Amino acid sequence: MEATSAQEKKPVRHGSKAKPGEVSARVLFTACACLSIVAVFGIIGYILYGSIPAFREIGFFNFLFGSTWTPTYDHFGILPMLVNSIVVTLGAALIGGTVGVFTAIFLAFWCPDRLHLKYNGKNAFLQKTVALINKINLRTIFDQIIKILAGIPSIVYGLFGLEVVVNLLSNVGGDGKGILACSILLAVMILPTVTSLTKNALDAVPKQYYEGALAMGNTKAQAVFRVVVPAARSGIISALILGIGRAIGEAMAVVWVSGNRVLFPSGLFSYIRTMTTNIVMEMGYASGLHRSALIATGLVLLVMVLIITLSLNLVPKEFKGKRGEKVLRGEGAQPVAFRKKGHLSMAAAIFGMVCAALVGIILATIVIYILVQGVGCLTADFLFGEQSVATPTLGPAFLATLELIGITLVIALPLGICAAIYLNEYSKKGSKFVKVIRTFIDALAGVPSIVFGLFGNILFVTALGLRYSVLAGAFTMVLIVLPTIIRSAEEALYAVPMPLREASYGLGAGKVRTIFKIVLPSAFPGIATASILAIGRIIGESAALIFTMGTSFNFSGSPAGAASSLAVLLYVCAGEGLFMDQAYALAVILLGLTLILNLIVYFIERHVRKKR
Amino acid sequence: MHLFSRKKEGAAAPKAEKKDPLEIFDFSGDNAIVIEDVDLYYGDFQALKKINMVVPKLQITAMIGPSGCGKSTLIKTLNRMNDLVEGCRVEGRIEIGGVDIYDRRLDLSALRKNVGMVFQKPNPFPMSVYDNIAYGPRTFGVRSRGALDEIVERSLRQAAMWDELKDRLNKSAMGLSGGQQQRLCIARALAVGPQILLMDEPTSALDPISTGKIEELCGELKKDVTIVMVTHNMQQAARISDKTGFFLLGELIEFGNTDDVFSAPKHPETERYITGRFG
Repeated sequence: MEATSAQEKKPVRHGSKAKPGEVSARVLFTACACLSIVAVFGIIGYILYGSIPAFREIGFFNFLFGSTWTPTYDHFGILPMLVNSIVVTLGAALIGGTVGVFTAIFLAFWCPDRLHLKYNGKNAFLQKTVALINKINLRTIFDQIIKILAGIPSIVYGLFGLEVVVNLLSNVGGDGKGILACSILLAVMILPTVTSLTKNALDAVPKQYYEGALAMGNTKAQAVFRVVVPAARSGIISALILGIGRAIGEAMAVVWVSGNRVLFPSGLFSYIRTMTTNIVMEMGYASGLHRSALIATGLVLLVMVLIITLSLNLVPKEFKGKRGEKVLRGEGAQPVAFRKKGHLSMAAAIFGMVCAALVGIILATIVIYILVQGVGCLTADFLFGEQSVATPTLGPAFLATLELIGITLVIALPLGICAAIYLNEYSKKGSKFVKVIRTFIDALAGVPSIVFGLFGNILFVTALGLRYSVLAGAFTMVLIVLPTIIRSAEEALYAVPMPLREASYGLGAGKVRTIFKIVLPSAFPGIATASILAIGRIIGESAALIFTMGTSFNFSGSPAGAASSLAVLLYVCAGEGLFMDQAYALAVILLGLTLILNLIVYFIERHVRKKR
Repeated sequence: MHLFSRKKEGAAAPKAEKKDPLEIFDFSGDNAIVIEDVDLYYGDFQALKKINMVVPKLQITAMIGPSGCGKSTLIKTLNRMNDLVEGCRVEGRIEIGGVDIYDRRLDLSALRKNVGMVFQKPNPFPMSVYDNIAYGPRTFGVRSRGALDEIVERSLRQAAMWDELKDRLNKSAMGLSGGQQQRLCIARALAVGPQILLMDEPTSALDPISTGKIEELCGELKKDVTIVMVTHNMQQAARISDKTGFFLLGELIEFGNTDDVFSAPKHPETERYITGRFG
């Protein structure tokens, strides 16, 4: 009603004057979207603040380029760890990047929907098995494999690394720990990122390029490797950069396999310590200058990761031509006969298949190994035993994890959804402000868990006086899951068809009303997916929680009390080697939860696809 | 399977004689393409019905007809791009340069090297102009800089683009105008030395001036290559083609000299179509 009267008074003006409710909603959504900026600056600020004593007393140069780290004598030089982190990350990028990119190429171009196995024998069981295998959709399977690999908590990778990778490698050299073990584990951890992003980039290449190459007499492999893959170059480079960012900040997967010596790398099996493991190993008992030096280590890590993340924006999106002019000198050249080529491309295609098979084998090995080792460890004592300070039981950790999930989601979901609403419903396309916000969301997503842990420790545990508590852990987790929630909520909102909104506006509804009554309900499945992804992230997180929630075996039940989450409990149990049975039991539980959450997401997405 | 059995009837087997595996075609006769009783199915849908036509060498053959009449489908069977379509099945016989192109032993690379294609939407690769044209020869093992230079220059000249592009060979092909991109695609196709050039509505995405240039180019090119062109534009067919085939609902209704088809169509449907009463 008001809107019509306003229009009568000022007929010239297009659009009606916004109601106060609309304005405050807009402000709220904008504020939520800006939260990522605040968070990133907050993290940088507090970590910087915490590192100042170290830089002042040790000296920036001595800290960065000193090569001894002996806290008892106040020697704090991180150069060996810095070098180790870089070496291990490059190793991971080399292994994981290669396998990931080639797997993606296989999945995008060669992976058949279904196998067509034939069995002509009479064995009824085999006939059924073959029929069943032929029914499986291979693409879906691989899609799920990648997602599950991405969802497995890093601490479970750590356990797998300690018990399997190291043992296998010890047949090759040393006792298996060291650079190669770290690189392999990190490679597995970045595989899902690299594979899924590369596949997206390949899928986005216009089909006409591929057809154009085939029409010139290319074999399929030639067309893929000489035209499509180069055309997806920028996306593939971005995938690798994100993988590198992920690898350099990973702590828990390598904490047990590095060998933990502050030495420069000297061989594939030389013991090392990375910057992340340095923090994990010592932060628990450090104080004073030592603590500040650890925080400064975190700062170095953070700066490196931020540079890596920001460098994503520098990757040129499209081919802009080569430099200089080309002058042809073809006159008088001997004509060269055309020959049939393409063997190299064919070999590359086969290598892609091998890589994809390898990815499947890796997941199968992890799952089977954890199940075989762990199922027997799910004893009644562990599952239902009374909590005690001396022996770990599931109860307190389970309760603490539930509380952690609850508190985190109650805070993070509204914030994330409001930010997504701003980005999708309010922002103008191509606006610089939105570009900045997105950059900061990406930056926040790239911050290593361990740095979140340091930040939470400084701000929530110490400065705000929350001490080690579920609450401090939850506040930290809010920042960690925020980017995930914003991105998937935004995707969900984006998928809501425009005509729905137009219909609502057409009936005279305002923007806020349209968003809450029409857009959000239609986006519900997507938002549910966002929550589940966030839950997965919370369950799997350990590095950020060790120094915010604590590592105790028992739990008072109050959000103000300290407790181990499931993943942290696994770290504590296996870290000291005293409770390996419980560690395996926890690994089974974590793996099971990962699989269940993935399954739920799969069914939600299938449901949505069927409805369309 | 019957494709195989027909082998004995005298078509030159691709590997029967020891020749260059890429040059298995013999274009010394008058006919470039012979299409006999071709049926084509997409799953259960029959898109082409008993097509019979003979495409003469070094002429422009136009295929016209309303949308969905099968003309694009037919042109894509001639270099077997239809293989990419799932559930596509071809029956009958298509002979190019004396070779049955649906023979199971046929080398697709050899076929497509000799039967080039220009698509409806210009599809230059995201590379430099030079690399676009050198792409084909490179995938056929040409490494020498001089030889590549020579091919690039010759192809660009053939496509009447040399003067336009000789100073921007290192620039991205994506920065060219739509018409330039399409002519670049023609040059790119010419670079591997095809005997036949298939053009699937090559000007439908272009402005009139660019269209004019491409038509002019086709007139030049037919000295060296046989052109088969699908077009939506009847005037275009009338202007540049020597032979015209009119398709309707998967059937070849009429095929003959362009002048005859346009001035004295034998079939009432053809007449109705070219006088603009449907389509």
